[in-house]
Amino acid sequence: MAPIDENDRYDPVAGRPTLILGGHDFHSITEAVARPVEGKTPLAWWLCFLPSLALLGLLGVAVSWLFWEGIGVWGLNVPVGWAWDITNFVFWVGIGHAGTLISAILFLFRQKWRTSINRAAEAMTIFAVMCALIFPGIHVGRVWVAYFMFPIPNQMGMWPNFRSPLLWDVFAVSIYGTVSALFWYVGLIPDLATMRDRAKTAVRQRVYGFFALGWRGSNRHWQHYEVAYLTLAGLATPLVLSVHSIVSMDFAVSQIPGWHTTIFPPYFVAGAIFSGFAMVITLMVICRSAFGLDQIITLRHFDYMAKIILVTGTMVGYAYGMEFFIAWYSGSPYELFTFTNRAMGPYAWAYWTMISCNVISPQVFWFKKARTSIPILFVMSIFVNIGMWFERFVIIVTSLHRDFLPSAWSYFRPTIWDVSCLLGSFGLFFTMFCLFVRFLPMVATAEVKTVLPQADPHAHPPDHAPATARLAEEGAH
Amino acid sequence: MTPALILAEFSTPAALYRGCERVRDAGYTRWDAHSPFPVHGLDGAMGMKRSMLPWIILVLGLGGAATGFLLQAWVHSMAYPLTISGKPHFAWPAYVPITFELGVLGGALAAVFGMLGLNQLPRHHHPIFDGSRFSRFSDDAFFISIEAADAKFDREATAKLLSAAGATHVEIVPETP
Amino acid sequence: MSAVRAPRVLRAEQVSIPAGHGLWRLPMISGAVGLVGLVLAFAFRGGDPKQFAFSWLFAFLFFLSLALGALFFVLIHYATQAGWGIVVRRLAENTMATVPVFAVLFIPLLMGMSDLFTWVHGVAEGKDHLLMSKAPYLNTSFFVIRAAIYFTAWSAIAFYFFRRSRAQDATGQTSVSLTLKRISGPAIIVLALTQTFAAVDWIMSLDPGWYSTIFGVYWFAGSFVSFFALMTLMVVGLQRAGLLTEIIGLEHFHDLGKLLFAFTVFWAYIGFSQFFLIWYGNIPEETIFFRHRLEGSWKAISLLLAAGHFIIPFFFFMPRTIKRKPRLLALGAAWMLAMHAVDIYWLVMPLQHPHGFSISLLDVAAFLAVGGVFFAVLSRLMLGAPLVPVGDPRLPESLSFENV
Repeated sequence: MAPIDENDRYDPVAGRPTLILGGHDFHSITEAVARPVEGKTPLAWWLCFLPSLALLGLLGVAVSWLFWEGIGVWGLNVPVGWAWDITNFVFWVGIGHAGTLISAILFLFRQKWRTSINRAAEAMTIFAVMCALIFPGIHVGRVWVAYFMFPIPNQMGMWPNFRSPLLWDVFAVSIYGTVSALFWYVGLIPDLATMRDRAKTAVRQRVYGFFALGWRGSNRHWQHYEVAYLTLAGLATPLVLSVHSIVSMDFAVSQIPGWHTTIFPPYFVAGAIFSGFAMVITLMVICRSAFGLDQIITLRHFDYMAKIILVTGTMVGYAYGMEFFIAWYSGSPYELFTFTNRAMGPYAWAYWTMISCNVISPQVFWFKKARTSIPILFVMSIFVNIGMWFERFVIIVTSLHRDFLPSAWSYFRPTIWDVSCLLGSFGLFFTMFCLFVRFLPMVATAEVKTVLPQADPHAHPPDHAPATARLAEEGAH
Repeated sequence: MTPALILAEFSTPAALYRGCERVRDAGYTRWDAHSPFPVHGLDGAMGMKRSMLPWIILVLGLGGAATGFLLQAWVHSMAYPLTISGKPHFAWPAYVPITFELGVLGGALAAVFGMLGLNQLPRHHHPIFDGSRFSRFSDDAFFISIEAADAKFDREATAKLLSAAGATHVEIVPETP
Repeated sequence: MSAVRAPRVLRAEQVSIPAGHGLWRLPMISGAVGLVGLVLAFAFRGGDPKQFAFSWLFAFLFFLSLALGALFFVLIHYATQAGWGIVVRRLAENTMATVPVFAVLFIPLLMGMSDLFTWVHGVAEGKDHLLMSKAPYLNTSFFVIRAAIYFTAWSAIAFYFFRRSRAQDATGQTSVSLTLKRISGPAIIVLALTQTFAAVDWIMSLDPGWYSTIFGVYWFAGSFVSFFALMTLMVVGLQRAGLLTEIIGLEHFHDLGKLLFAFTVFWAYIGFSQFFLIWYGNIPEETIFFRHRLEGSWKAISLLLAAGHFIIPFFFFMPRTIKRKPRLLALGAAWMLAMHAVDIYWLVMPLQHPHGFSISLLDVAAFLAVGGVFFAVLSRLMLGAPLVPVGDPRLPESLSFENV
């Protein structure tokens, strides 16, 4: 392995900072990523998996009880017909979006640093979407007629209302889950071939081999593969924007102050990316140290992720500001009341939690030291997710609990079952993620190899100073 | 034994690239290169034409969108018309979200299954897997394989060409019995 | 194509306009056109001061949005450390540096404030209850102060980045790039806020009863896509004049094409979000905006906007082959600029011509006046320094850039 200085700021070939540290070559990357999957299960994994499994059990219990007894076990009332259920739905969908952004949008922007984290981020998306889809499913009340939501022939000759945002959600989120899973799987095929070719047991070889589809690294296959990948990235990008825009329309197409406002679609998308990246940071901090991948998922990767958090957090702050301004500017007393009620009414505690977590705390990421400090990154990522959960809660509940008619005002309090469903959904998420890191390569090995300097067939031997163009002496302006 | 193909190993992407150019220029048509990741520019070095997958994706994507739009329009105007929030039955803005999503789904399914179809995958058995060192293609080795069925295939001449092109190891891989 | 080359030495005639070249006449020609426009506009102003004000606002907003789009491009370029576009960044810098001139061009709008904005009289009269609730914001003095703040902020940012980049031509210091990168972040925030409130002040308040939280983003989206269109045309134009031919290549055009495509879609997304949510909620205070724009022949303009600003360019800019043919890209870019003009017209004019669009001589005169001045200043700036930031240490990366 050629010695490369960890503090080397330039990749001698491309003039860009070195992404993968430690002088890795193709083989050592394969080894580093495959080792966690092939070796003995580390204790740390059991310490994550078992509590997650327990919480998953809690989810099973909570949902079963909900089906048995009905929606009344939650704290919902009139007028607050949506609270934790839809908050959790939007929360999880939002988290999923960062995975697609890393996979698809950063791919379109040619950001090579994405290759270290995109596999885990895409997995995160799929599991987040799974968690998200639970909530619209269980909150319907009459679960046994859930098939009403789908445009399939039924005994009443009835069609669903395609014009309702709730049905757009059904299509959008399930299509999002499908496309994300397809994108993740396509990316996995070459790495499954790697696992197949390294497998020491017949079971592993058969299972990995089955899903590797007989991949043999053929360049004629790579050609179609790259087209498919680029197209999936090109499709997933507007899909991400559309899915969370459609989710925002659950609220924005209404007439309720605080819900009906034109900025919701891009504001929700920015917020989703904001919270999703925070979750990616949380997961990557844990995984890279648990699996020794800190030369592949480096501080530079966290630097970039923290910058994205700063940018999207600022966009969210912009949206907050615009909403507030227009609430006043509109001259509608209902609008203005909704916003002052948020800041100073019975849910002020939720509002100010949201503001401190979403607007104030990310400002720390203006400083590079904070962006590259693992403890700060970890703590901040959790704050951001707390803040984003509260943002959805504030939007949903404060607008519902006090809308146009004061005699209809009320207050919402969660019950133990609201809390169980939320905690249980984290159980599902982390259980799936633990299984993922145990059995599948959590870094996109083939993709990471492409960003190594030696992957370039036209690479010249290194020359340490980046070239600079100068005007010729004669005829200089 | 009947040879199925000749397999040559190369140690770097650059060597593979140059090797491919040689094989292409020598006029072989039934051959392939193998790498653990897509090597930049190799399509050109192999003289490959552009993939037709984008067209398949476009057609099926637009088809998906059209299906979605027509379904909604038919349902709300003819099959099950209801007056919803006082808007006309044919409320095209409200059809946009699902139309778009189904378009994306169509495109995505076309991309994945089109790609698999064009690649003729899954195909779990292929003579090349019998190559003695071939399993390293998914790790850090690069290969060129020339099928015996190629018109210009000749055991010695082809092997010589590949060695001269920079291969570190050349072997004949037999047909699977 | 290789990912790196030996240090390229750019010859002077590749990056600067040689003496005696036809382009040296451009400032004068543009200036003359501008002068003709000014004379015509002011000559006809007396007959219809209200129409003059609206025509001038239309022309002003169109060209200002190009300058602001350029400003955002430069800032985002530094903030993201993008590599491909360094070769075109100087053109954007020249465009954004015209912003201070718009402060002067704003004066006719100040003069015609009471013709443009019904709230000027409305607030003075004090009878409309709804209007009075907005009076702390919509009053003449605060309006003027805000305009001063916008122009000061834009000019300060534009000038700072413009001059530091030019200074770097001679010194090649990396510290310049690092400083500009560091302040680009806060500068973007300032730009976002000022551009938003400029849209609120100068466009949204034309109908003081109407409001939309996404409006600032909408104007920004239009300005950004039209800036890419302008940049494409500038590059193609310069290359046809024999300049930058070895410096800006198909790879860069491909990227410009991708950005034109992406931001066309972004504009449509923002525009549709606004329309769709207002349509669905069906609240009269909000729907009035679209009611006005579906009245009479405005309906045709609305359809033209949807088809011409989104559907046609969506399919035009999608194929890879089009993005790699500069002539076709230029055609698409010219179309997008025309569509942006339609967009601004559609935003502004229904307040002046509620029953249907009607193009007036003053529209043309104002367009020539503002446009002539804009291009005169822009071309003068272009002549004053190399067309490419020759001192940027990352220029080679941009020169040898290759697309997927």
